[in-house]
Amino acid sequence: MKQSLIIPILAWYAVQVWPAADATSADISFSRDIRPILSENCFACHGPDEKSRESGLRLDLESSAKHDHEGTIAVVPGKPEASAIIRRIESTDPDEVMPPPRLHKTITPPQIALLKQWIRQGAVWGNHWSYEPVRRPAVPKSSEPGAIDAFLAERLAREKLAFASAADQATLIRRVALDVTGLPPTLEELTSLAKASHEQIVDHYLAKPAFGEHWARPWLDLARYADSAGYPSDPGREIWSYRDWVIRALNTNMPFDQFTIEQLAGDLLPSPTDDQLIATAFHRNTMTNNEGGTNDEEFRTAAVIDRVNTTFAVWMGTTIACAQCHTHKYDPITNKEYFEVYAFLNQSADADKRDESPLHELLTPDLKRNREAWKKELAALDAAFAKPKPWWLRGFDAWLATNPTLADAKLKAAVALAPDKRSKDQLKQLEQHYIKHVSPTSKLTRERRAAVEKLLADSKPVTVPVMTDLDPAKHRKTFVQLRGNWQALGDEVQAGVPAAFPPLPKEAPRNRLALARWLVSRDNPLTARVAVNRMWESLFGVGIVRSSEEFGSQGDMPTHPELLDWLAAEFMESGWDVKHLLTLMLNSRAYRQTSAASPELVEHDPDNRLLARGPRFRPAGELLRDQALAVAGLLSPKMYGAPVRPQRPSLGLNTAFGGANDWQTSPGEDRHRRSIYTEVRRNSPYPSFSTFDAPNREVCTIRRGRSNTPLQAFVTLNDPVFVEAAQALARRIAKEGGVEPAASLPYAIRLCLARDPGAKELSVLTDVYDQALKHYRSDNKAAAQLIAAQPNSATPDIEPAVLAAWTTVANVLLNLDEFLMRR
Amino acid sequence: MPSMHPVREAHLRLQTRRHFLAGAGQFSLGAIALEALAQTSAKAAPASAADPLAARLPPQAAKAKRVIYLHMSGGPPNLDIFDGKPELVKHSGEPCPDSFLKGRTFAFTTGVPKLMGSPRTFKKYGKSGILMSDAVPNFHGLADDITLIRSMHTDQFNHAPAELLLFTGHPRQGRPSMGSWVTYGLGSENQNLPGYVVLISSGVQPSGGQGCWGSGFIPSVYQGVQCRSQGDPVLFASDPPGMSRELRRTTLDALRTLNERQHSELGHPETMTRIAQYELAFRMQTSVPEVMDIKRESQKTLDAYGAKPGEASFANNCLLARRLVEQGVRFVQLFDWGWDFHGTGPREDIRDGLTQKMAVTDKPVAALMNDLKQRGLLEDTLIVWGGEFGRTPFREGRTAGGAVLGRDHYPDCYSMFLAGGGVKAGFDYGRTDELGFGVVENKVHVHDLQATILHLLGFDHERLTYRFQGRDYRLTDVHGHVVKDILA
Repeated sequence: MKQSLIIPILAWYAVQVWPAADATSADISFSRDIRPILSENCFACHGPDEKSRESGLRLDLESSAKHDHEGTIAVVPGKPEASAIIRRIESTDPDEVMPPPRLHKTITPPQIALLKQWIRQGAVWGNHWSYEPVRRPAVPKSSEPGAIDAFLAERLAREKLAFASAADQATLIRRVALDVTGLPPTLEELTSLAKASHEQIVDHYLAKPAFGEHWARPWLDLARYADSAGYPSDPGREIWSYRDWVIRALNTNMPFDQFTIEQLAGDLLPSPTDDQLIATAFHRNTMTNNEGGTNDEEFRTAAVIDRVNTTFAVWMGTTIACAQCHTHKYDPITNKEYFEVYAFLNQSADADKRDESPLHELLTPDLKRNREAWKKELAALDAAFAKPKPWWLRGFDAWLATNPTLADAKLKAAVALAPDKRSKDQLKQLEQHYIKHVSPTSKLTRERRAAVEKLLADSKPVTVPVMTDLDPAKHRKTFVQLRGNWQALGDEVQAGVPAAFPPLPKEAPRNRLALARWLVSRDNPLTARVAVNRMWESLFGVGIVRSSEEFGSQGDMPTHPELLDWLAAEFMESGWDVKHLLTLMLNSRAYRQTSAASPELVEHDPDNRLLARGPRFRPAGELLRDQALAVAGLLSPKMYGAPVRPQRPSLGLNTAFGGANDWQTSPGEDRHRRSIYTEVRRNSPYPSFSTFDAPNREVCTIRRGRSNTPLQAFVTLNDPVFVEAAQALARRIAKEGGVEPAASLPYAIRLCLARDPGAKELSVLTDVYDQALKHYRSDNKAAAQLIAAQPNSATPDIEPAVLAAWTTVANVLLNLDEFLMRR
Repeated sequence: MPSMHPVREAHLRLQTRRHFLAGAGQFSLGAIALEALAQTSAKAAPASAADPLAARLPPQAAKAKRVIYLHMSGGPPNLDIFDGKPELVKHSGEPCPDSFLKGRTFAFTTGVPKLMGSPRTFKKYGKSGILMSDAVPNFHGLADDITLIRSMHTDQFNHAPAELLLFTGHPRQGRPSMGSWVTYGLGSENQNLPGYVVLISSGVQPSGGQGCWGSGFIPSVYQGVQCRSQGDPVLFASDPPGMSRELRRTTLDALRTLNERQHSELGHPETMTRIAQYELAFRMQTSVPEVMDIKRESQKTLDAYGAKPGEASFANNCLLARRLVEQGVRFVQLFDWGWDFHGTGPREDIRDGLTQKMAVTDKPVAALMNDLKQRGLLEDTLIVWGGEFGRTPFREGRTAGGAVLGRDHYPDCYSMFLAGGGVKAGFDYGRTDELGFGVVENKVHVHDLQATILHLLGFDHERLTYRFQGRDYRLTDVHGHVVKDILA
């Protein structure tokens, strides 16, 4: 590829967006400007991994870089011409030049100039930025009252840009509604909030239970939550209580440190509650393999490795997976340290078992009450049978005289005896059999007992796989696994955290609870930065660190490092208050801007990293389905519970060694529940969500793609779910707005787009309506097909052609760019 | 300056935004960079230069322009098809020597199993004299067209991990598949069809699941699109019942007008992308059913493949593969279920069971090769046939007492064949030991196969990379060597 041509173009372009120093600048930051160049080009051979290290030189360590290696010094402060690093980079000898041509890496002339300038200025060293402790930076002096805006405005001013004006009220209501609850505003809300302050709008939506349902979705991507176990046969897994726990925790604004501790180690808290045990299912979302011939220990190991990787990805934004097989080439995490973290997670009792043990049995309050009543009743009935009512024994002798055939050997023997030969016990046994199976007078009581027994048997407790540590006596030993092979074991290791990060408290036990507390300690440099960055990404489309999954050496630099640190400090010092942080962001001026942009601004800042305009992006597929159901009036408000199965096409395929992929649509309102309750099957993910970049939840996903493809057009135009929404929307428009377009189109537009229509819009949509009406009046059969209604939704008083025409218009509304984007 | 990676950056931008505004004639640097990067082929119209699926030339000269990958899911019994072992027949029934079992785990075999020579008859075929068994009568005539590799080996002995290793370079879920890498690198030559199509026969998806054609962490526009012979050929491609094509056109025209207004108001390039994608969807609604409709083929052709319109058969899928590559689809991947010859039932018997399985699969493969040859497509289409691992030279443990003859999973050696674009014709490569336990000459690991496929398509497998979580990932992980010996 013509890399030589491309890099300068993109490099020039990048300088426009990022505040990187150039060679003439006096202000070179090691962590911002120099370390990324060294990391990208040098660390693979001159970094932390000793197995691949060349010539004993480390460029990730100041001491080694400035050390005299047999007469050669890589970096001589103040003297670029004496520094071997510059000489080798500039060499034209293919055997000398660095990086070696075989690595296909190029350090560009501006980067070389930067390196020289840095050395000339004294080669001041520093740590990788995200490993430095979080200190709250001073807020820049600014006319902006809010801290967020002050940081952003300072940077905008440097780029000779400024905030755009605020978006109009209706746009903001819809923006906040979608961002906070994942649902569009209702018509009532549009009216009641029309005069509300922005802060009131934000508070209104943050208080709705739909908030938890919406914000649970990205967390479940991180938690790789699914209702199936994965691998080829992909059997179902009952773990939905965990999904409900996440929704409740978000809605009660559980502090993020507690949220963390309960999920990673709720079972190790003193007398854990049901909820604290359910929370630990976070790490029971790993896959289990039921394929015949697989080794349970191999896949238990795979699950623990997944837990290590997921823990570091979610809380530390650090890809630790590399260190599973070898010492990390870019970040200071050794192969041994990887397994020291593994040791924390290696004591859980689960072992890739088909039954997903250990399970926690859970009784919902209703279930609990009923079961207690039934058990009591059963005991009373048993007591009654133990002391039979005299009339129950009516006909006993006559029955004995018929010499009945009995299956039980003891009873058989007793019946065969002459009446006077039967012992007291034998007589008692026969009496019991009579009243429990034969007696006509005990029939009602008998039947009641059977019914109660069945009720009890059928009211099985809900189960959820949980983390439970093995007894200390049975603790597993942890060894370094060589080259990532679970059977090739190296040295034994003890639980510990990587040396590059702050240490565990000395007195802390070496268990998951200590690990969890360490992750959310004030000294941990990453957790808060990573968490606030994900919140920022959800609201502004791109994180302050674009690579929200990677904060290590190979990740992107933050566009606003001081703002990120201010937010991280605010987050921790507020008591890890999620809604507080969201409120700050949602109330910022940056958030409230209009998303309209000039071509010059789009070109200058295509990804809107500087926020000289409001954020605008395409939401997740789950939200798009919920939104369509909501405006159509179909969405069920029912929260929580077992997963549901909305309509999906039958594909006629089985999973390997498992059952059919297809499913029966759930009855009643369950087919229209919010997408968060849709059953997640790893081997056959819900097709329309996948089409909009939903992961299949096999592994932790930090950041979804946001593609724009023709297959997505097929979903919103033709997926029966969206067609059903168009049909229902048409009925709603015709019933509530009136059948004449002049009256009902404004209603429809307000319903879907939360605003009043423009004249041109009205004329375009009226044309569609008129053409469709003409077509369907001439083709009644087609009209009947297009409006084919679900049970209980017929509208016999409206002409089918009119409904069909409205369905056509509704199909257009549900596919507008404005509807599919959050603007 | 931030660390950056030009290919990834350019693609990330394209994912969400079109820098080239259709009709407006405005370029941005991102689009120019990608265009230069991609060295857009003359075929691609300038307006689609920034489209992530626009056809691109590879960095090196390529012998193959497209791939048809025929995957026999389950592990075909190599010792009964391609790798005849007279010595194994001689020792058939003897206990398996300890040296082959020590320290090893097999999926369904414990203790000391008995060696099992093949009950099939082997002969040499073609001018090249390639040895094949009577199980594959229709492959005999292909002997002078293929490179047969008997020295394949893999690291995994269970289906799902082995299939994932083969198709994604890694035995666990989460990496991009071979077909996505290829469409990521080359785009597709027909913008009215998906660039990467998956066809499944025998009613069961492969053990590796959708990850076998997923896009992992690269943009989802590169994932395989499953096309079907029943129902909608592409999910949701059909308009709802009662909606005519004319009315659909009317609605799309209205959408375009209203979306253009939205664009003029907000200036967000993604709006223009959406308009273009809806237009493409409209064209696909015609082009996909057309290409998937095998009723358009002559009876003679249908007979040659053994294809019957309306079935989800391997034969139909072979014919569809030809129709798709003919239309410029870049990567066509067939999965056929039912190759796991354990001997747990008559269909898994290496005698009649294998004969029956082959009767419905070797003929369509032969027909496909001949058809491509006649149309002049074989020379730049790469065909790959094979499974995810081989099968043991001994009888499978669980079924050893029964009447059905089966073999267990075996990763150390197995056979695959390649044909067409850039590989030798009539070539026999690699050798296993006389009992079929290990490769003794010219080992080919699955990573080598991946490297070779990419090489044939014009890529250095070490340089076709995607930056994710700070690391440049590639199909071959950190392994793989091009098997130069088999290159034509």
